[in-house]
Amino acid sequence: MTARLRWDPRAGWVVLVLGAAVMGQWLENYALTVGATILIYGILGLGINVVVGYAGLLDLGFAAFYAIGAYTSALLVLNAGWGFWATLPVAIVVAAAAGAVIGYPTLRLRSDYLAIVTLGFGEITRITATNLRITGGPNGLTGVPPVRVGDYELVTSRDFFYLALAFFALVLALSLLIRRSRVAYAWRAIRQDEDAAEAVGVRTVRAKLLAYVVAAGIGSIAGPLSAAQLGTVDPSNFTFLTSLFILVIVVIGGMGSLAGAVLGALIVVGLPEVLRSAQEYRNLAFALLLVVTVLVRPRGLWPARPRPVDLGRGAEETPPEHERSRRERREHREEPGQKRGALLRVDGITRRFGGVTAVEDFDLALEAGEIVSLIGPNGAGKTTTFNCMTGIVTPTRGRVLLAGKSLTGTSPHGVVEAGMARTFQGIRLFDEMTVAENVLLGGFARHRSLIGPWGAGLVCGAGRADLAVVRWCLDFVGLRASADQTAGALSYGERRRVEIARALASGPSVVLLDEPAAGASPVEKKSLMDLIGRIGTLGIAVVLIEHDMALVMSVSDRVIVLDYGRTIAAGPPAEVQRDPQVIEAYLGAPEDDPGPSPVADEARA
Amino acid sequence: MSAPLLEIRDLSSRYGHTEAVRGISFDVRAGEIVALLGSNGAGKTTTLRTITGLHRASSGAVRFGGEDISRCKAHEIVARGLGHVPEGRRIFASLSVAENLLLGGYLKRRDRALVDARRDAICALFPRLGERREQLAGLLSGGEQQMLAIGRALMNEPKLLALDEPTMGLAPIAAKQMMSIVRDIRARGTTVLLVEQSARLALGLADRAYVLVAGQIALRGSGTELAKDPRVQAAYLGGDPAT
Amino acid sequence: MSDFLQYLVNGLTIGSFLALIALGYSMVYGVLRLINFAHGDVFMVGSFAGLGVLTALSMSGPWLAFAAFAAVFAGALVSGVLGVGIMRAAYAPLLRAPKISLLIAAIGVSLALEETVKLLTRAGFRSYPDVLPDAMLFSGAVRVSYSQVALIGLSALLMVGLWAFVTRTVRGTAMRALAMDPDAARLMGIDAERLTMITFFIGSVLAGAAGVMYGMYYTQINFAVGFLVGLRAFTAAVLGGVGNLVGAAVAGLLIGLVQSFAAGYLSSRWADVIIFGVLIAALMVRPHGLFGERIAERV
Repeated sequence: MTARLRWDPRAGWVVLVLGAAVMGQWLENYALTVGATILIYGILGLGINVVVGYAGLLDLGFAAFYAIGAYTSALLVLNAGWGFWATLPVAIVVAAAAGAVIGYPTLRLRSDYLAIVTLGFGEITRITATNLRITGGPNGLTGVPPVRVGDYELVTSRDFFYLALAFFALVLALSLLIRRSRVAYAWRAIRQDEDAAEAVGVRTVRAKLLAYVVAAGIGSIAGPLSAAQLGTVDPSNFTFLTSLFILVIVVIGGMGSLAGAVLGALIVVGLPEVLRSAQEYRNLAFALLLVVTVLVRPRGLWPARPRPVDLGRGAEETPPEHERSRRERREHREEPGQKRGALLRVDGITRRFGGVTAVEDFDLALEAGEIVSLIGPNGAGKTTTFNCMTGIVTPTRGRVLLAGKSLTGTSPHGVVEAGMARTFQGIRLFDEMTVAENVLLGGFARHRSLIGPWGAGLVCGAGRADLAVVRWCLDFVGLRASADQTAGALSYGERRRVEIARALASGPSVVLLDEPAAGASPVEKKSLMDLIGRIGTLGIAVVLIEHDMALVMSVSDRVIVLDYGRTIAAGPPAEVQRDPQVIEAYLGAPEDDPGPSPVADEARA
Repeated sequence: MSAPLLEIRDLSSRYGHTEAVRGISFDVRAGEIVALLGSNGAGKTTTLRTITGLHRASSGAVRFGGEDISRCKAHEIVARGLGHVPEGRRIFASLSVAENLLLGGYLKRRDRALVDARRDAICALFPRLGERREQLAGLLSGGEQQMLAIGRALMNEPKLLALDEPTMGLAPIAAKQMMSIVRDIRARGTTVLLVEQSARLALGLADRAYVLVAGQIALRGSGTELAKDPRVQAAYLGGDPAT
Repeated sequence: MSDFLQYLVNGLTIGSFLALIALGYSMVYGVLRLINFAHGDVFMVGSFAGLGVLTALSMSGPWLAFAAFAAVFAGALVSGVLGVGIMRAAYAPLLRAPKISLLIAAIGVSLALEETVKLLTRAGFRSYPDVLPDAMLFSGAVRVSYSQVALIGLSALLMVGLWAFVTRTVRGTAMRALAMDPDAARLMGIDAERLTMITFFIGSVLAGAAGVMYGMYYTQINFAVGFLVGLRAFTAAVLGGVGNLVGAAVAGLLIGLVQSFAAGYLSSRWADVIIFGVLIAALMVRPHGLFGERIAERV
């Protein structure tokens, strides 16, 4: 076994920061000022990276947070005599609140509308700042004193450079923590497939709002720094063009990666300095660079790459469990005499829309470990039934009860948290993440809340329990060896199994599989049959939509047949297979008199 | 024997990450009604979409009227006389019946008199459509929408009409009427390629049929032969064909 | 009361320009699902093109009307060609890419256009020659000039023309069909790529015409005029429900009125805040626009 020196990539950052510190000793005043500006824009880049790079929410008004940070700090210093350091937490909190205010209206919007709304907020902030007397109107605030550290005043550009470097290092450290956190995974999932994220247990609304709040907080730090550097807060520094350049940082530098944000800041501030002679062409150059980058390298120069999750060795014995299941089992044990009702009860689910009855009066009672298949011709209402059960669609009538608790009308992520997981007909994995990361994300649904307890989810990543879940799930579906491969690169059958593993990771008591064998080869179908059977032996109830009758008949305890939304048969597989009504539904009734043709008689000659 | 009107050779096509159609070959001769059967996910719709240019084949060839159309765009294929009534009808719901039919005659739009004449002919063919000329297409019943979709495709007087599941979502009576319509279409001189999930209905009127299972042709034969073949039921419902 | 009516008249004038631009946004969104960020700058370029033609013709007297029409025509044409060029160069390659890429490309194109014009005009304002007649239709408490009437009239004419094209001609109906269901449209024999280009052309032509009219009305234009006007027009398109042409026109007039009333009763500096506030409030209540969208989102 060869010993390999493991180079922790984070060491690279330490080297960079130390290197900058050393360079600070040798550089001239002008270079130091530019360097400080690069660091300030680096902070802005790290901030916008959260909302654009991770969560995929196109923010065209990020300068608003920059401005709010600057104005809040300067106002407190100039009007209330506060010290620079005291204003920082206030500035951050105010900006974070603004982030929530700006983010809230965008939660239900499509990406294009979202972009314009953020632009609108950016403009509103700028116009307000330019027109209020308290903010100094179009001239802004002047006379902002330099920063003091104890008795020492930071007046020289070298002093300020080190101040900026210190702040940058802090923000960088925070970003490194956030990058591997549970919330960051949620953000990345939202960017790739928001509906799938919701269906896997991610609280998308909360997560998106949090993205704005965190991004705003980080971005606002650049404000007081800039105010201290220039001694003024000038509203012409916070225009739409500023927001655009902050966006350019991540678009050109690289989305979703810290290195990309820093590289972008270097380019955005550094390039115009290098081309100082052609200053007036700066904006045009960036505009063209923007278009070219998006055409040629849409994810930027240094985008995020999926990182391997360290699963360690060893196998797990215990399947994943939600915190609530432990509680429930305790409660169940305390009442041994009670008759155990069905694990899953679906009563009279009906779904009507636009005059069409997609599902009518669907009933189902499921015990732990049972495998029930839902079959029926195309358009019979099977997927709609699933959607009603999992909260993607609200049923017109009827209710869904899981372990006695009503799930009707709960959001999809609430359904997962309650213990019912599902897979999709057209496999919806997070293709840019690795297999292990996909399953890890599914496992995060076991936690009671997004960032709890005490905000831990914001900086803490996968704990030991989470990794154990991933190990167990990947072993169960037989994909442990592919853990570090990108989900998008796997074969169809393997992707299907990853999706099942991800569903199992949330510790469900019921799993809904929508056409798991669709498009699978006969060999893959055989291993799927085994897999489904094994899920049943775990005590998890399975509901299956399938068209492959061989699979259905061999694996199911019971079969329910839908046709035109109505249940036309239910029972053991062999019985259903011989039911004449079922045969007719699939193959059509025997041909008898076709009846009058709606085609006019004259046409038939 | 003349060359077939439509020739499919070793056609393969992907749907997302799957190989939905794996190397199928079949013919449709002028004047025939040929049915493509199979349960869901068997690859019928993908086959049709690949033939008519909405989908790019990964390998294989499609020849229509003796010419290779594998690389042609959808609107070019329509211009050559291959009509397609897509799955789910896909009528333009916010446009009227008359406007839908007008669009069916798009390729002949310069000759307004011709388009109008054809539109009148279609309305005479489907009196129910003629009665509802100015109605919004989205308000028609399922069967009427299907008639509109077919009428729209007939506006171009195609040599071959591909119909994708015309009976889907229709009540049994309407489904049977749809089959009569298909018979009449053939009687008027249009060759028909019919994709259907309801095997018995289609086999009752097709001259020949192919049964697709998992993207490949599992059974082939004349309509009457396959109608009596127990293997067809097995292809849909699994189980032992002997029972 | 007379103030109110004055603001009303002014609002309708500016609103008719906004309506024309908003129609262009809506049309393009209908076929490409793209917010053409550069649309406002196409408006701006059209405005400068019209200025060029007027300066070159430098006519006076009764020929002035002819020059004005020539300028509108030229501005519209230049914008139309520019719009199609942008589409083919920057947007067409990105049609299968994620949405965010297309949006960013549009932003880049927008900035590029602004900066190019800024460099060519040295960031200065340019003045339109005095083309519009000064005569007043009414000059009592409410002042309505002939030129206002003419501009509103011309805008209305263009909008009616568009409406006739879209509802009465086969091509126009095909355009609506393409926005509804591109695959089904292709199966009618409709060349989707070509029709998309035509849609882009028409939308840009409307913006260019609006640009020249704007220049004649306000006389001062500069490179930045596209940004703000474009943003207001975009607000109108969204408010009306993108893809919904009637909605876009109505909302354009509405936003013009809002701008006029806000400027009149409050201050022009706060007008944009109010406009954006209206947009944000409307989207919160109806995430798909006030009048709903006219394009089907295929599930």
